[in-house]
Amino acid sequence: MGLLTDPSAGQGKLIKLLLKYYAKLCVLLYTVGIVYFCALASSQINSSTYFSENALLPGLVRSEFMDNTMAMNYFDELKHEMKKYDDSIPYPWLLAKFRQLGLDTYTHNFSLNYPLGASQKFTGKNVYAIIRAPRAASTEALVLSVPYRPPVSVHAPTASSIAIMLAFAKFAVKEKYWAKDIIFLVTEHEQLGMQAWLEAYHGVTCGKKDVLISGDMKGRAGSIQAAINLEIHEPEIGQIDIKIEGLNGQLPNLDLFNLSGKMALKEGLSLTFKNRLAKRLKSLWRDWIYAFQTMMSMVVTQATGVPNGNHGLFYRFGIQAVTLEGFSLPNPKSNRAGFYTIARILEGTFRSLNNLLERFHQSFFFYLLSATDRYISIGLYIPAICLLAATFMIKAYAKWCQLHNNNKTDEKQAGGDAKNQLSDDVVKELEMKHAALTQGDWEQKFEVESEKPPNDKHVGLGHVSLVYVLSHVVGFALRDLPKYMSHVGATYGYSTETSIYGTFAAVSLLGVLFPLCIRRKPAYKSMSFLNIIALLEVGTALICLAMYNISIAMFLAAIYAPATLLINPTRCGSCRIVQRVLWLMMHPFVVFNVCIAVFTFTAFPNDSLEEVFYRALGASRQAMVYSIVDSEIYGNWLYNMITMIFVSTWLCFYYVTFGKADPSEQIIKKKSD
Amino acid sequence: MKILVYVLVIIHLVSCNKDSFTEELLLKPLYANKLYSHFQFTTKWDVDATSDSMFHTNLFPRAISEIVVRHNIQELHISLTAGLWRYETWGYPVVDAAPGAEVWAWFNPDTENVDKNWKELANSLSGLLCASLNFIDSTNSINPEISLRNSGVVQGQVNNTFLRYSSLPREIVCTENLTPWKKLLPCSSKAGIASLLNAGYIHNTQYHSVGIMFRPICADKACTRKAVELQQTVSLVYDYKMLGNRQWTLRRLFGQGIMNACPLAKESSIYVDLSNDDKFDLEPYPHEYITAYRGGYETTYAKYDIKRIKPMSIAASYEGKEIINVNIPPPLYASQYKTGFGQQNGGIITKLYNNHWADLNVVVLQNFPWYVPIYLHTMKIESNGNILQPTVLKYKPGKLREKAHYLEIGLRLPPKSTISISIDFDYVFLKWQEYPPDANHGFYIGSAIISAMLPLAKNYTGIPQDGSTIADSFNASRSGYLVQIRTETMIITLPTPDFSMPYNVICLACTVVALAFGPLHNITTKRLILKVTTKKKLSEKLKSFFKK
Repeated sequence: MGLLTDPSAGQGKLIKLLLKYYAKLCVLLYTVGIVYFCALASSQINSSTYFSENALLPGLVRSEFMDNTMAMNYFDELKHEMKKYDDSIPYPWLLAKFRQLGLDTYTHNFSLNYPLGASQKFTGKNVYAIIRAPRAASTEALVLSVPYRPPVSVHAPTASSIAIMLAFAKFAVKEKYWAKDIIFLVTEHEQLGMQAWLEAYHGVTCGKKDVLISGDMKGRAGSIQAAINLEIHEPEIGQIDIKIEGLNGQLPNLDLFNLSGKMALKEGLSLTFKNRLAKRLKSLWRDWIYAFQTMMSMVVTQATGVPNGNHGLFYRFGIQAVTLEGFSLPNPKSNRAGFYTIARILEGTFRSLNNLLERFHQSFFFYLLSATDRYISIGLYIPAICLLAATFMIKAYAKWCQLHNNNKTDEKQAGGDAKNQLSDDVVKELEMKHAALTQGDWEQKFEVESEKPPNDKHVGLGHVSLVYVLSHVVGFALRDLPKYMSHVGATYGYSTETSIYGTFAAVSLLGVLFPLCIRRKPAYKSMSFLNIIALLEVGTALICLAMYNISIAMFLAAIYAPATLLINPTRCGSCRIVQRVLWLMMHPFVVFNVCIAVFTFTAFPNDSLEEVFYRALGASRQAMVYSIVDSEIYGNWLYNMITMIFVSTWLCFYYVTFGKADPSEQIIKKKSD
Repeated sequence: MKILVYVLVIIHLVSCNKDSFTEELLLKPLYANKLYSHFQFTTKWDVDATSDSMFHTNLFPRAISEIVVRHNIQELHISLTAGLWRYETWGYPVVDAAPGAEVWAWFNPDTENVDKNWKELANSLSGLLCASLNFIDSTNSINPEISLRNSGVVQGQVNNTFLRYSSLPREIVCTENLTPWKKLLPCSSKAGIASLLNAGYIHNTQYHSVGIMFRPICADKACTRKAVELQQTVSLVYDYKMLGNRQWTLRRLFGQGIMNACPLAKESSIYVDLSNDDKFDLEPYPHEYITAYRGGYETTYAKYDIKRIKPMSIAASYEGKEIINVNIPPPLYASQYKTGFGQQNGGIITKLYNNHWADLNVVVLQNFPWYVPIYLHTMKIESNGNILQPTVLKYKPGKLREKAHYLEIGLRLPPKSTISISIDFDYVFLKWQEYPPDANHGFYIGSAIISAMLPLAKNYTGIPQDGSTIADSFNASRSGYLVQIRTETMIITLPTPDFSMPYNVICLACTVVALAFGPLHNITTKRLILKVTTKKKLSEKLKSFFKK
């Protein structure tokens, strides 16, 4: 703090150097940060995964599951049964099957009041059954879950997963070594059912009140230690993919990921992450490219903060979970793993989890994966985001010093001019008079001077704080307004997508137009100060974000750092326009639309440009609705964070571009050049 | 001399007649493919529990009488349990027991320092049963005012300051507890029904509970004299799924058939409950069928008198296909769970289910460890959306590291209702030495005890207060049937520090010390001598360099 408050600090050699080279330094930091982050995918830098928790004893026991025919029977029966239930879960069949196995069987009802548009209510039903462990008093539990997908579902079917689950339950109920209860859970409506079940189990509401009504449930089994979510699409699969990305970018403990991976490999099944096998390529460059692609596909998924499976909702409750997704390969010969293999993988995994004495705490919770067996720990990736965030901080500091220097030079210049006008005699006389003045007089004089109303030369704190607060008010409005407008829109017959997208666009446009209406041009110093505050806010927000979700922080930093570096109050009119246009391109709304357009384009490369445009527009409208719904139901804070921090600071920076340049700065610049 | 011998023999006979031993085994099929087997060993002894004559034991275990006399005990209940009794599907057991270890004792009213005696008693029992009962002290004990009344005969006013209750939910019960327990029996496990207790078999069950109960009883009907009674029980619940199929035999359950009765036993019998819907045949044919009416329900038992048999194994053979019935839960059962996530604040919910058609009066006893500070003002009792007022509320706040939180709630449960009692608590920070070795396992909160006098004896197997054997529970209709339901234990994760950090610090410190040691050793052991050096010019240096 001493550096910031001590007025003489600006005179140091280091500070002068910083003022001279800060722009170059920022560019350097940015480049190094990005290059370093990309380099992390290289197996030269990252390390291979290992088991940290010894209690897991993975793969030490011989698998005993044999009952392949039973699983096949369940599968055939379920296929037949599913035909009777077009759009809902065949719960009588499931309940009967679980009850026949002698499990404690329960259902859980939930309902959803759709938070947007015209009020709609949806209901759902989960089915779950519990094997009571003979070795414990229902204090701890493990979960095996399957999202039930009716025939009309757009997602890949999961009937085989339910067959495997039942066969595994039949096997597990006979065993006497269980020390943790096993909950078999079949959820309805994808993540909604899972969220409702978890909320009911823990007696909490994570999203907005009265949106997802999770209800109550009867059977419980103590604190849940780990969960495996099954999404096996076909009775015969060729490879198994482990999905880990959770809500708000949370990840499971790396030990659990390793465990399920090891079990799959033990049963001789090829294991993928992001549908990519772990490959060792001879060429260092190619090896890096391959690993980098894997890592980036994880970064993209994690950055959205949307879980890519039901596992992602467990993390909030301190439960480690992964999804095992089984695909059949296009080549039918390579699909060799059937129910038998997968049930054995489950057996191995659950028996290992059963060994756990303590909850998962040993291995990493924050990491990136570049292959199924390579990881980048938080210690490795944090410097990258720190380097990027440092560009904001350094620029802010340099600006602050500049502000102080300018104050100094102003005073000096003022004094110098006066001196020039007066002859030396007069100066001497004046000095004599000054010397004659008592201490008290000086103080009085000083006070009078400082009481003067702030003019252009001073930081207009009032002005700055008004702009700062207003821009954040706009951010808040953007967070909440679209929701209300969707209700209003519904009464006028507009679709939820249209009203939300329209509101967002309109409010954003208002924010853009507002500074244009102000006649009085903001003063340079005030704008410089505003710039500093905005820089600090973005820098801090990015570091905080990186603690939780490195991917989104990296993404935002990579986009915003170069643009914010260019934002300075300048005199040159054309520069100002260039700045403004560039900054308009950086509006979160624009970035969001562009991102979606790029994704659409890559997803449908054969479509004509016009088609892609309409497709992208539709996708963005829906994406916006989904992000709001996610924040309402699941407590996903991506939308809230973007509107409240990034839209607000965007507005601050935007306002900065309207600032007039200070003449003294130009002089200094010339001098330094 | 001869006369003296006669006199001694007579005295001996008289003293022998003063005590008796009964061994019983109850086998009862439960709902959902389970088999409940309850061993009941009862020793009655007509003796003054406070006098030295307690030490002259015959059938009564001397170890118990020493503990009783030494710690001035009036009544003692111990249970060591693995697993949880599932009231909802299994009905009521003969003896209720909480998961882990549970001890409660009444001390005689002339005890001077109850806490001291209690602590010493826990330590003695710990040695006797090889259990970690020595962890019991005043910081985790409470003295409930309503719930745990004397079950034996009492003279004068009852004062709960002489009662202590404690439970150790973390305790893991295994063979090492069963072996010393068996040694307390007159025939040990060498003969009689106790020979069925093979550790290898009885620990492969869904639930097993070992219990000891000592209490004073009336020696005669008029209750002019007091006697003592010791009940030793083992409760097991077998799962047919784990056994392979439901055609059970004694040999499959316990590893061996029954060889003979304990010669010291007055009575030795096996009862098989036949009143299940799913009928089965017994082999060999039972000696007797007993039909017992109790509290409006009829039960049929097959009785085997072990005294009359040769070595045998009882086999049950079910006919026809397995039927899966709908479970009809008992009138009252309960469960307990934790709400919330994270490590800031949480809640505990105790749910009571009243399936009876009338009101039920219950007392809920909750015993929270000191590291779970509860907030009484957050307590909410709800029944189907309505707020319920407790009829009695006893609360003694705990104290950090000194005293457990004690809460006792009297409630009148509306008919056919679900009542939830919720209370909030905070997570506290512990001192680093207070964490157990596996700190990340979590910390236990013991089960709640829900006591009620049920008006019906449906699914009820308990022994009446005036009885001491299973045979006493036949045709024993009373005005109420006492159940003391135990709920699940809970596990909470307190904020736990990274315990590998001290290790890292040690490593770092050792490295620093090692690095510092070398130079220090050099400086202190080597002598420093000044050496005159002449300054050479650069050209000279080069010359000397090239000369080499």
